[in-house]
Amino acid sequence: MMETNRRRFCQLLGSALVLPSLLPVSALAGIDAATIKPLFASAAKDRSGDYHLYVMSELGEVIFDHLLPGRAHHTEAHPTQSLLACTARRPGRFIDIIDYQQQRLVKRILADDGRHFFGHSIFSEDGRWLITTENDISTAQGRVVVRSMADDYRVIADYPSHGIGPHELVQQPNSSVLVVANGGILTRPDRGREKLNLDSMQPSLVRLDLNTGERLEQQMLPTEQHQLSIRHIDTNRQGSTVIALQYQGDIGHNPPLVAVHQPHQPLQLLQAPEPINMAMKGYCGSARYDHSGRFAAISAPRGDLISFWDIQEQQFISSIKSRDGCGLTATANTAEFIISAGTGRCLKHNIQTGKTQRMPQTLKTAWDNHLATV
Amino acid sequence: MKQASSPLWPTLLGAAALLTLSGVLHAAPSELQWKNHNQSLVSEHIIPRYQHLADSSAALASSTAQLCQQPDQAHLDAAQQAFHHTMDDWQSVQHIQFGPIENLMRNFSMQFWPDKKNLIGKQLNILLEQQNPDTLETAALYKASIGVKGLPALERLLFTGQLDELDNNSYRCQLTHTIAAYIAENSAATVSEWQQEYSASVLQAGSEESYYDDHQEAAVSMMKSLVEPVEAIRDQKILRPLADAEKVRPRRSESWRSERSVRNIQLNIVSLQNLYSGNENSVDLLLRQQGAAAQADKISALFNELVTQMKNVSGPFTTSLYQPETVVQLQQISAALKQLDQELNAAMQTLDIQLGFNSRDGD
Repeated sequence: MMETNRRRFCQLLGSALVLPSLLPVSALAGIDAATIKPLFASAAKDRSGDYHLYVMSELGEVIFDHLLPGRAHHTEAHPTQSLLACTARRPGRFIDIIDYQQQRLVKRILADDGRHFFGHSIFSEDGRWLITTENDISTAQGRVVVRSMADDYRVIADYPSHGIGPHELVQQPNSSVLVVANGGILTRPDRGREKLNLDSMQPSLVRLDLNTGERLEQQMLPTEQHQLSIRHIDTNRQGSTVIALQYQGDIGHNPPLVAVHQPHQPLQLLQAPEPINMAMKGYCGSARYDHSGRFAAISAPRGDLISFWDIQEQQFISSIKSRDGCGLTATANTAEFIISAGTGRCLKHNIQTGKTQRMPQTLKTAWDNHLATV
Repeated sequence: MKQASSPLWPTLLGAAALLTLSGVLHAAPSELQWKNHNQSLVSEHIIPRYQHLADSSAALASSTAQLCQQPDQAHLDAAQQAFHHTMDDWQSVQHIQFGPIENLMRNFSMQFWPDKKNLIGKQLNILLEQQNPDTLETAALYKASIGVKGLPALERLLFTGQLDELDNNSYRCQLTHTIAAYIAENSAATVSEWQQEYSASVLQAGSEESYYDDHQEAAVSMMKSLVEPVEAIRDQKILRPLADAEKVRPRRSESWRSERSVRNIQLNIVSLQNLYSGNENSVDLLLRQQGAAAQADKISALFNELVTQMKNVSGPFTTSLYQPETVVQLQQISAALKQLDQELNAAMQTLDIQLGFNSRDGD
């Protein structure tokens, strides 16, 4: 009964097209938002060109719909509270902190004068700090900035990222170590998103101490690979970091697009089998470890595919098609991921069983670059 | 859920109707319109073109086999002619970049281009030096580098070098035949996969078996095939060889060795025009049905203009690019392609088609 009903509900919503964003869907569906279990949160662009942060349920229902002031990039879930941090896409200047249980905007953080964000912010593992990557516009140097949640998100530390264009950052579990991807690409807000230093770019992966800002190590790619921008990363309990690369050279070179880092070791580049590597079109969008930390998924939205890797063995495993698929998050099961796409579709894929399921959806929206399990 | 939600259905439907009537929503083609559109394109545009490619590449394979048996000028001419027919058919379907042509990276294997690092030359030379007889099976080519299994490698073998290199059933000649046979195999597989599986997936969009959630989603793949090549033709096939006004670069043009760079572009444009307006359920008609006749007229006019302009371009680029009037013509064509690209992108908004979000504007 319930299944039939839900399907009918989807069909009707389909005919109404824009209604989900006009009315609170939780009320429409007669569901109390606090009682359904949320599954993931992601920024998205709706059919009329507005940007939202949506919190979705397992059944594809909208639990919370928050209208954003502009296009966002990454959403991060707080480790213990029902808070989400949704960061403006570069060179944006807002981070919206929302409480999805209370269904409200808790705080809109604006970048300081002379600064902009790079699309990523995270909560520290202890849940006390919000940590961002930022651009110090006058010097074009990357910064890693720590804000205190207890003190209304006041800046309490501001460290160099030791590179240009820092993008994603993650905290290594059970440690005070931050890993920062310095993409290496110079942009200036007055030149929009134009890339100004492709010939000389030097991306790097930096590990910093969260408490002191001390640089613990910095790894660069070999000189001939300097156009591989290090942008999206994830880290596991063993301290290894998986990296999704974006090539700024000619994609006919078919460069490796994935890398792995172990503390104090050089970066290891990994290449998918030639046809798949080539199909990735020089561009990866997200990197995520699975729940076990052994496997990783890397999205290649330009190639309409998601590749899966055994990071322990440093080996490509398989790939699946996902048109415009980009956002990735791990489920609580080993070797299983949720994938979100710009087409609005979400998939669940398990590497071990090889099964791909379409997730139910009540909403057709273009899911943006990243999603987060909540 | 059932109890709480049921009283809301009339409200939902009423609101939807109101929005539609008041024009708040963009009018967009219905699922049925997209279904008809997709069906016509598959049966009248896509499958026949792949069928032509399968036929001509099979002829090319047998022609190269005959060449190896009797390596004289007449057989070389015949093989070259067969190559031209195959390339004609490939250029007429090159814009379709989804479906079975993506399996096993057939699109890249069929034609790896542009080849800015001379991968094809390097990989081909390795094969020719090693002369390993194991590489003379099409099965071996499945595992070979992308550079040596397609039309550009075949073009080098057939259009450069001397006839006597093909003598005595040489390795070079047999490799030529193996590559041709590989192209034929993949072309045949592409058309049969379209007929047996993929056309059903497109036409039954929304069913459990289909790769597509709905007909509009399937239409997105078709619309990408219409819109995206326009910019690619302009950038890769016209602007790269034009380089700058001071120094043109004919060897950056596609198929310069077989002197058919101009013909390729002509075929590309005529094929896109056919995709746009060549059947009774075409995009052109959909636009008119959405009340966007002016937009449709502009696009039609641009296609007509481009077809005429291309007819007047002389080839081969290896010599004609050095003539100032060719450069001027190509600059005009490039401008028209840019306009066409803009118009087609605007048309996609009218039709409520989003070509790509993360793939086109990710970070």
